[in-house]
Amino acid sequence: MASIGKLNQHQARTAYLFITPTMLLFLAFTIIPVVMALYLSFTNYDVVSRMDFVKLDNYKRLWHDSLFWQTFKNVCYYAVIFIPLNILISLLLALLLNFKRFGVKLFRTMNYLPTLTSAVAAATVWIWLLHPEFGLINNLLSYVGIVGPAWLAQTETAMFSIIMVTLWQSVGSNMVIYIAGLQGVPDYLYESAKLDGATAFARFRYITWPQLRPTTFLVSTMSIIGALQLFDQAFVLTQGGPGNVTKTPVYLIYQQGFNQLQMGYASAQAFILAVAILIFSLINMRISKSEESIV
Amino acid sequence: MKKWISLAALATVVVATASGCGSNGNNGADSNNGAAAANNSASANNSASSNNAAASNSSNSTKSDPVELTFWGDWGGEGQKQFETMVDAFNKSQDKIRVKYVLQQDMITKFLTAATSGGSPDILFWDRWRTSLYAPKNVLHPVDEFMAKDGLNKDDFYGEALKELSYQDKLYGLPLTVDARALFYNKKILADAGINTPPTTWDELEQDAIKTTKWNGNKLEVAGFSLGDNGLFNMYLQQAGGHMLSDDGTKTNFNNDQGKAVLEYWDRLLNKDKVYKVGFEQGLGEGTDAFVTGKLAMQYTGPWMLSTYKKYGKDLDFGIAPPPAGPNGDKGSVMGGFGLVIPEGSKHQAEAWEFIKWWTANKDNALLWAKTSLNIPGYKPALEDPFFKDDPFWKPFLDTLEFAKIRPAHPGYSVMEGDALIPNLQLFQQSKQSLDDTLKKAQTRGDQLLTDNAEVK
Repeated sequence: MASIGKLNQHQARTAYLFITPTMLLFLAFTIIPVVMALYLSFTNYDVVSRMDFVKLDNYKRLWHDSLFWQTFKNVCYYAVIFIPLNILISLLLALLLNFKRFGVKLFRTMNYLPTLTSAVAAATVWIWLLHPEFGLINNLLSYVGIVGPAWLAQTETAMFSIIMVTLWQSVGSNMVIYIAGLQGVPDYLYESAKLDGATAFARFRYITWPQLRPTTFLVSTMSIIGALQLFDQAFVLTQGGPGNVTKTPVYLIYQQGFNQLQMGYASAQAFILAVAILIFSLINMRISKSEESIV
Repeated sequence: MKKWISLAALATVVVATASGCGSNGNNGADSNNGAAAANNSASANNSASSNNAAASNSSNSTKSDPVELTFWGDWGGEGQKQFETMVDAFNKSQDKIRVKYVLQQDMITKFLTAATSGGSPDILFWDRWRTSLYAPKNVLHPVDEFMAKDGLNKDDFYGEALKELSYQDKLYGLPLTVDARALFYNKKILADAGINTPPTTWDELEQDAIKTTKWNGNKLEVAGFSLGDNGLFNMYLQQAGGHMLSDDGTKTNFNNDQGKAVLEYWDRLLNKDKVYKVGFEQGLGEGTDAFVTGKLAMQYTGPWMLSTYKKYGKDLDFGIAPPPAGPNGDKGSVMGGFGLVIPEGSKHQAEAWEFIKWWTANKDNALLWAKTSLNIPGYKPALEDPFFKDDPFWKPFLDTLEFAKIRPAHPGYSVMEGDALIPNLQLFQQSKQSLDDTLKKAQTRGDQLLTDNAEVK
């Protein structure tokens, strides 16, 4: 008995030794910066000359900052359209490419390719495609007699264009996650369902979808975070314009911190954003739990 | 068990995002410190070794080693070569000071950490409008004493450029380049429309733009005049006789008749005369530039486009004219450009000044710089040279610079323009908002932003 205890102790010690480097890095580059940022959000830190404690001033100012709340409205609008479409399209692609057929791997690769391009480079190319007079999209539309809008310059279509470009770039990786999820669904469930005469739709509804719940939870959570932290594409495609309809919280945080040197205020904004992400993720968790349990 | 796992997963995800945001607002604290520390130790080593060398040398002989200066800039590629040409010329001209150009892509951020933790460069290439934000934080060294000691005359420089480098009666550097926007016009398109001289007033500009615009059904083929950059509101406002900020420099000053005149003019051009279409030029980079490809007849832009446009030679026959005057004959353009400044953290400020003086306050060197980089130097005597006086491309810019004004020196000015004014102007251009609403909203929001960003001490 005693020797087993000793062995466990020894194993535990070795285990701690092994995780120490990772934990130290985690502490230095994640925990400490987060705590620092929280502290800085109560100061008027400007990087060079001052770091005085100003209590809740930053948060009070934030409360009246209409632009900050508008950026939240913008990303919420983005999220409401982006997240369901993201789940739907990547799931459909995964279902389509889950068959074992000749050449299916090629199609998987091609669908995954946009994910590999740099967000900024891809966005730059999309600017050309979306150009109102000489862009490919509007040229194609003109063949069927439609005069396309100035996609990125008009208030009605600017956010919609960003949604489409980010979708194009993100469905590939989510498709791969869904394919992995689909291959984890045990075949005997389908077999017995077929024996009982279940239709293809019923099999999807009562076997595939519930079995994929953890996968959907992962994909939707990552989408929520990605949506609330939207920055590069919006920055390159529209620079937050027109009329601030595509300005995002991260864009404002960057501007406030690095252009105006108001790191304290920027940290406060960053914390509100982190809290928002936490809240939406919790809601997402509640929704995914309230569905019927896995068979 | 499942619940526990998903909770844990969620927790890690949230912590990771929080730290992502945290590091945004927390740059000074972590990653960059590392870089700065590395820089520090490197430069500390450098200076230590050069000091040592100097010390040992002076004990051996009276001749000492040159002082090593570091010059930071964020111009790479062609710009870097131009800087190095000047630095080499300076190093050859004397043997007491050795300057080295270091390219810093993210110069301002690096400078911030260097300013607080040592390792500061000795000379900084400086976008002048930043002065009002940084000078109050005591990271730049005033040059007034140097100016007085060397007997430099402030009148030899563009007054507006010096104003932009000043804060509370102290001067923080000397102007290296000056620029202002003027009217670029495609001679061929104008001639085809029967126009022989470029427009000089708003009305002429409007008429010429109407004549040169070509629509093919719903497709705009040639735009008469570019209205793509709402940021030029400042320029139009000056032409209408207005000013962006009130006399005391704390409030916006465009919700008035002058501001109205600008917006009415834009509205006429865009929605009634239809000489432009929103988004027409967006994303057209070099090579597909609408002015180069003959899809745009006239536009406001600056001397920085000259080298690009000249490359096209005969294919692009263009001319330049000072900006047309407004309804009451007022002229206006916005002056910008770069300067050289000395950080407070530099250990060799006197030597740094020698370099700045050599480059920016000497006729021959300023001219060498102008010819190397195709920029207009801030030192007026250099402009007497035939290189500028007799050139049809430079002359209109020099004329424009005579009346061009800098952006107001308020630390919150650029935020006010970017977040309050331009978004509302965009909504107005797309007829989403009435003229009165536009000016009123821009004013309310702009005043708020100016107040929020006023305190920099």
